Amino acid sequence: MMTARTHQIEVYDLSTWFGPKAVLKNITCHFSDNAVTAIMGPSGCGKSTFLRTINRLNDMIGNFRMKGKILLEGEDIYGPQANVYELRRKIGMVFQRPNPFPMSIRDNVKYGPRLHGVKDDNELDPIVEKSLKRAALWDEVKDGLDEPAPNLSGGQQQRLCIARALSVDPPVLLMDEPVSSLDPISAQKIENLIVELKKDYTIIMVTHNVQQAFRVSDQAAFLYLGELIEFDKTRRIAEAPADERTEAFITGRIG
Amino acid sequence: MSSDSCATSGTANETASSAPEPEIGPTRRSLLWLKSQLLVKTRREAKDLLLKILFAITTLIVILPFFLIVIQLAVTGLSGLTLDLFTTFPGASLTGGIRNAIVGTILLVLVAGGVGIPLSVLGAVYISEYSPPGRIRSTVEFASDVLAGIPSIVFGAFGFAFIVVFLNVGMGLVSGGLTLAFMMMPTVLRTTQEALRQVPVSLREASFALGATKWTTTWRVTIRAAFPGIVTGVLLAIGRVMGETAPLIFTSGNSLTTPTSILGPASWVASLPFTIWAYVSDPRPYLQVKAQSTALALLVMVLAVDVVANYISRKVTRRLV
Ligand SMILES: Nc1ncnc2c1ncn2[C@@H]1O[C@H](COP(=O)(O)OP(=O)(O)OP(=O)(O)O)[C@@H](O)[C@H]1O
Ligand SMILES: [Mg+2]
Repeated sequence: MMTARTHQIEVYDLSTWFGPKAVLKNITCHFSDNAVTAIMGPSGCGKSTFLRTINRLNDMIGNFRMKGKILLEGEDIYGPQANVYELRRKIGMVFQRPNPFPMSIRDNVKYGPRLHGVKDDNELDPIVEKSLKRAALWDEVKDGLDEPAPNLSGGQQQRLCIARALSVDPPVLLMDEPVSSLDPISAQKIENLIVELKKDYTIIMVTHNVQQAFRVSDQAAFLYLGELIEFDKTRRIAEAPADERTEAFITGRIG
Repeated sequence: MSSDSCATSGTANETASSAPEPEIGPTRRSLLWLKSQLLVKTRREAKDLLLKILFAITTLIVILPFFLIVIQLAVTGLSGLTLDLFTTFPGASLTGGIRNAIVGTILLVLVAGGVGIPLSVLGAVYISEYSPPGRIRSTVEFASDVLAGIPSIVFGAFGFAFIVVFLNVGMGLVSGGLTLAFMMMPTVLRTTQEALRQVPVSLREASFALGATKWTTTWRVTIRAAFPGIVTGVLLAIGRVMGETAPLIFTSGNSLTTPTSILGPASWVASLPFTIWAYVSDPRPYLQVKAQSTALALLVMVLAVDVVANYISRKVTRRLV
């Protein structure tokens, strides 16, 4: 039987297609708990597709197909009895561009818990505070929780999106280039935040930026044209990449 | 706040950029401009200038009717625009006000909107968010585009044949309102679709990624984000049907007071455009003035609706991006 270590995400022989086009090819890997795994690779190699397959966001795309298994806590997320809503509660996602809902800061954070049955403001308010604190945004917005979220700066919006993702307590957090659209100072803040969050969450982060991957992650994956070329401790990959394509990428020769 | 003033000053600069020195007065500036324009050196520049003048004239011709209408209505109608006009009924020889028409137009718009808006908004949501792109979707879109272009008298004839006669509703508020509802539907449908299309996919995905169902996402995120755009489309459609006479001629009847019943002859209802048409066609001279005043009142009402629509849509483009 599976050795079901809690929350661990395991991927077995995953392949995906958009129509006739193969995007991911036979990927097998295990993401460790309470750690940051960086997924690197040149543009178009399938990084976003990989993330979006883990929370089944690709299901919505008409011509998407997949083969293989993804296990969350030992359960096949594409299996017949999988509950996609509960699955997405357990796997939070932060997108490349901040995408707060056009409502107040408070309502943005309340949105998730409300979906999952928390209705009472006495319960919701502490969740709002806790989530915003964890996303290192509380001090900046605590006096304006009812302000429209789109009025925040880009960096604040992205931290709000992180708070929104944390509001439903997901053990796993997917981040698709979470800082690539932000200014350096906001990017720095969010990087620090990610390092802080990994104590409690299993984080899978897509990034274009090799230096950032090295700074933030414990494990790193290198994807190239849909194949998983390398998957190992970040330090090992940084010191001595096993594959020459990985080396070419981290030294900036491809990508 | 600041981004707003920035945007306005940006456009203002663009329009003013043809006038070079900002410090001099307007007369002198236009003289200078004229001089600079007359100092054409080559044939090419002369041709350019000629074209410029031609375009200026055509533009003038295009916008002239609007100002002529406003001036004409103001000159002939303003004198009749008294409080009495709005608060009293026409009375036996039509010497009174147009309260019947104002109330009638409001009632007709309420019926039309009450029926037409929910149907077309829900239809648009279904087509845009639920039906797969393909045959059905393009058929509906094609049909509503055609429908939006159909002359309003055709709607009137249809309303008469179908609602008044075939469904045996008879003339009055219901038939007139429903005919206007039919007229509104294609516009509201298409503008709602457009508003939904403008909502970024990433917003919907953020909702799904939190474990929301399709329905919750549509209702609480997509429609909410598209709401101002939807309101704008609805108001524009209301503004349009408010001024329509043709659909009402055979369907709403007419009345010197306000309707007292939902169906039957007591539900016959007056409206502003119908009243204008009836008064203008009347030989009595004082009704000509009343017609102009009524037209002015209608124009102001339609403009007010458009201004609100405009305001909402502008406010929103700022908030969503
Ligand atoms: N919805 C879709 N329909 C069809 N093809 C798609 C779709 N989404 C992605 N693809 C294709 O899948 C491949 C991988 O795309 P993906 O977005 O996963 O790349 P990526 O590694 O995230 O790139 P980037 O670094 O530019 O974000 C690309 O060739 C892309 O064209
Ligand atoms: Mg990507």
